[in-house]
Amino acid sequence: MSKELSRRELLKVLGAGSGLLLIHCGPVPPLPGTETDYDWEAHFWGYAIDTTKCIGCNACMRACRAENDVSEGVNRTWVERYRIDAHESVRVDIADKGDYVFEPVAGDVARAFFVPKICNHCEKSVCSQVCPVGASYMSKDGVVLVDHQRCIGCGYCVQACPYGTRYIDPRTHMADKCTLCYHRITRGLQPACVASCPTGARMFGDLKDPKSTLSTVLRQGRYRLLRPEMGTHPKCYYLGLDREVV
Amino acid sequence: MSGQLEKNDFRHTYRLIAVLVLFVVGAAFARWWAVPETFGQFGRYRGAAVASARTETVPRYVGEETCADCHEDQVELHDKDAHARVPCETCHGPGKEHAEAEGEAPIARPEGKGACLVCHQRLAARPGSFPQIEWREHYKFVGVADESVECTRCHDPHEPLYMDRDLRTARLHPMIHRCRDCHQGREDESLERPENHPPIFECSYCHGPIVEDFAGRTHASVRCTSCHIFFREDESTGRIIRDADPRFCLLCHRAADFRSDDAPPGIEWPAHREEMGTFPEDADKRCIDCHRENIHASEVSQ
Repeated sequence: MSKELSRRELLKVLGAGSGLLLIHCGPVPPLPGTETDYDWEAHFWGYAIDTTKCIGCNACMRACRAENDVSEGVNRTWVERYRIDAHESVRVDIADKGDYVFEPVAGDVARAFFVPKICNHCEKSVCSQVCPVGASYMSKDGVVLVDHQRCIGCGYCVQACPYGTRYIDPRTHMADKCTLCYHRITRGLQPACVASCPTGARMFGDLKDPKSTLSTVLRQGRYRLLRPEMGTHPKCYYLGLDREVV
Repeated sequence: MSGQLEKNDFRHTYRLIAVLVLFVVGAAFARWWAVPETFGQFGRYRGAAVASARTETVPRYVGEETCADCHEDQVELHDKDAHARVPCETCHGPGKEHAEAEGEAPIARPEGKGACLVCHQRLAARPGSFPQIEWREHYKFVGVADESVECTRCHDPHEPLYMDRDLRTARLHPMIHRCRDCHQGREDESLERPENHPPIFECSYCHGPIVEDFAGRTHASVRCTSCHIFFREDESTGRIIRDADPRFCLLCHRAADFRSDDAPPGIEWPAHREEMGTFPEDADKRCIDCHRENIHASEVSQ
């Protein structure tokens, strides 16, 4: 008789034990770094680029590299130079060597312009969806980030991104990307690329705040998105974009 | 005896339950071991990762306010001239270390023509309204024969437009200054441009946004220089509209019998003001206070 009781007791103990283990994965105390007055649910960050103002000085790229210690050979943001001749043949190059300076190139151009590129921080980010370990995610304030403790470097996200803004870091062998300078924007600063742009071609702001510069610009509706057909709902809005850029 | 048998009949069920329980406990343990702490706190990711994204990098670009703490004069000068909107750290690089060491740690001081040409090299892709040069052409235009001369010899990067000291004191427009180098006292010369004439700079090279804005307004057919007599030797250089009294506008807009039909609309002055109901206390009111729309926006960049 005592044998059967002890078995029942065992079940109880085991049941309670496993229950406790499950509870263990539930709520946790507040995180370090989240105790400041920054409320991430009060913001939803977006980005706009006025291509008619970009002078291709690459100050953004240099600032990004210095601010975020970006590895050699990869870029979180860059500027593309489009040169289109009279026959609509398009040549695109970037200045990613040496001092990151665009040099003059010979050749006929009907029109030419610069297009800065950066992570679009898509509302429906495919890179986060494909991540098998939950290392890629969008924060509540709308920034797509990589958890470097979780990433296994499989590269699925790099392939999934329609904008080519992700890379495998040659030093850490993990996926990395533009963080929209999350360490800056959560301190009330602008991303380094915006803070260093001499012509105001890059704009950063809060889509939840109807009075922000970004919201004001977007209300005019004169913007285009890159590859909207992908359904990723990108949050990088392009003003004055040439029809050749997709 | 029969009770004993019944009891034995359930033994295998207990075993099965025990196995299931062990499986559940095992699975729970595996989950506990494999799923990191804070995973799922906010979504399908590690909640603690957000905090480290905020804190694992420290801002290195400190901003103009920090620079102004020590370099107030430079910043003030910079804010008045064409580079007003160029952030300090765009040329000087991140200032964190320099600021934290209170100037003991060096900050980048870009040197050579390349430092300027990174923005001002003429490129087909640069917007036409942005000032850009081929430096050899520019040197020819301004009469500098020695190619080793740096841009900073004439242009203070903090106050690039009014270059050498004489020019800055006189507030002469830099371009007209260069014209006068050759054309001074040679008014009788033919106005036809000789073949070897240095390239002539258009207003839009430097004042693109203003020129563009002006083109859409009623005065579009009027030349910039008709109003902006830019060699007046005082602080109003190039800004004649700013301190204009009505007589300036009346140069073109005074009602006169001998005018043709396509002449600018003429008014009787000061009767016009009374017709418009301008009160005596508005005696200082200038034409542009009401007619700004006809000219160009006052606060277009550059």
